[in-house]
Amino acid sequence: MNVKIVRDILVIAMIKSIPDLKRSPLMLILAGLISALPLFFMMMFGAQLSNGLIGAMVATIGFIGLMAAIQDVAGDRYLKIREIIVAMPVHPISYAMGIAFAPLIFSSPGLLIFVALAIWLGVLTFSSLLWSIIILISCWATLSSLGFLISTYLQRASIYTLNALSNLLGIALVFLPPVYYPEEMLSSFSWIALLFPTSNAAGLIRIYSGLLDTSIVMILARWLILLATMIACTIATLVKAKWRES
Amino acid sequence: MESIDLVKVYRNKETVEALKGVTISIRKGELFTLLGPNGAGKTTFLRIISTQLLPTKGEAYVLGYDVLKQADEVRKHIAIVPQDVATYGNFTPWEYSYYFAVLRGMSRHEAKEYAEKALKAIQLWNLRNRTCATLSGGEKKRAIIASALASNADIFMLDEPTSGLDAVARRSVWAILREMVEQGKTILLTTHIMEEAEIVSDRLAITSKGKVIAEGAPEQIKRLAKEKFRVVVEGSLSSLGITESDNRVSRFGSKWIIYLEDEDDALEIVRTALRKGLKAETAPVTLEDVFVKLVGGEAE
Repeated sequence: MNVKIVRDILVIAMIKSIPDLKRSPLMLILAGLISALPLFFMMMFGAQLSNGLIGAMVATIGFIGLMAAIQDVAGDRYLKIREIIVAMPVHPISYAMGIAFAPLIFSSPGLLIFVALAIWLGVLTFSSLLWSIIILISCWATLSSLGFLISTYLQRASIYTLNALSNLLGIALVFLPPVYYPEEMLSSFSWIALLFPTSNAAGLIRIYSGLLDTSIVMILARWLILLATMIACTIATLVKAKWRES
Repeated sequence: MESIDLVKVYRNKETVEALKGVTISIRKGELFTLLGPNGAGKTTFLRIISTQLLPTKGEAYVLGYDVLKQADEVRKHIAIVPQDVATYGNFTPWEYSYYFAVLRGMSRHEAKEYAEKALKAIQLWNLRNRTCATLSGGEKKRAIIASALASNADIFMLDEPTSGLDAVARRSVWAILREMVEQGKTILLTTHIMEEAEIVSDRLAITSKGKVIAEGAPEQIKRLAKEKFRVVVEGSLSSLGITESDNRVSRFGSKWIIYLEDEDDALEIVRTALRKGLKAETAPVTLEDVFVKLVGGEAE
């Protein structure tokens, strides 16, 4: 990756985040609040906060990866920013990664609060924190690629359709599978957790935090699925995402 | 900049031939306008030549670089203003110009210099730190044009940049476009505003239904019409001995436009009309008159 590509990633991430951070700081609170919301209900109903905190971390990453990629690309298309950038000496990877990084800047304060709380409550130790970071990055890369792929394929879909789709996918990938709650609650259907990158990531973090006991084979299987999904989605984005319309 | 037999076919629910073999050559340092009605293929052409869209068939070159095979090289030399471009409310004109200049590969110092120049040239310097949400429609459009100007590109491609602007704002954009040409820049403009095409263009091409039907300097295009003069008469034509069904005549409410080949004939009609107490005046045909004749003929 040459210097220009890396520089452009940072510039696009800045374009997509700094003006909003400066002028609409409420969006910062909103980004953290959406993921934190289920925690309030979990506390009210006496559920384990440790599982909820891990869910909130994964949800933050999941939402920003998937929804931001779809909504940002759709927004750029509406504002013709994408057209302007396509006609510039900018590599498509810079655009895709810039778009993916921008919401990370937004959600980092919320994410840091969840991580700090998890450490304070003893859910995460130093070693489990390192594993968690790797898992969260894999989950973010998977969902960002997926979001980018969807939005570039649905060229003719309206911004309203894309927003609705991103919300639906957010619910389907973050709230329905065992992200906020332990997969044991699904009893014989707990294998479902492996199918979604979000619940798989949450399960892996629970394993490294000692909240979920499983065999080494299952840990390896989970990693394999998570990384395979990430690589497949990333390759599909690189190969299939349409930069120049045909 | 040239295109050779460009064809673009969109295949969705129905097949649409947006370009049917467009061959155009644009000289370095000129302002070339694509003039045509909606759906003539102007935007499709601009999007192909600016490397955003792939053609179905044909070739296109910008500064000798193949638009299809050397898009990265082409992109280093062009800046575009898309059609119906909207601004992001939280951006300021400064951010549009500065960030996009950085994205083109300029250093931060250079980007600041060119952003300042562009915003001053387009008279937005005093509003540079206002968010686009608080700007008027014309100011927003100028913010986007400034972001293209700040690129210091060799070639600018502007897709209907003045649509939706008031007359004063439109004229200020025309002045900027001509200034850019005087500085040696090449401009490809699309418009359906006749006055704009006539005033700002060095050369233009009239497009209709995906084809170029006339090409040349505005004066050359105007000479394509058989009739060189128009007489506008208000009132009844019968007193002038001209029938309403005459194919030289067009009606607009109580006004009539009569197209004539000879100036003496035009003056004679005006004199007769004035004698009969009718309002009448004559003038050379406009680009719009020729456009309507050419495009109308094409439609038939």
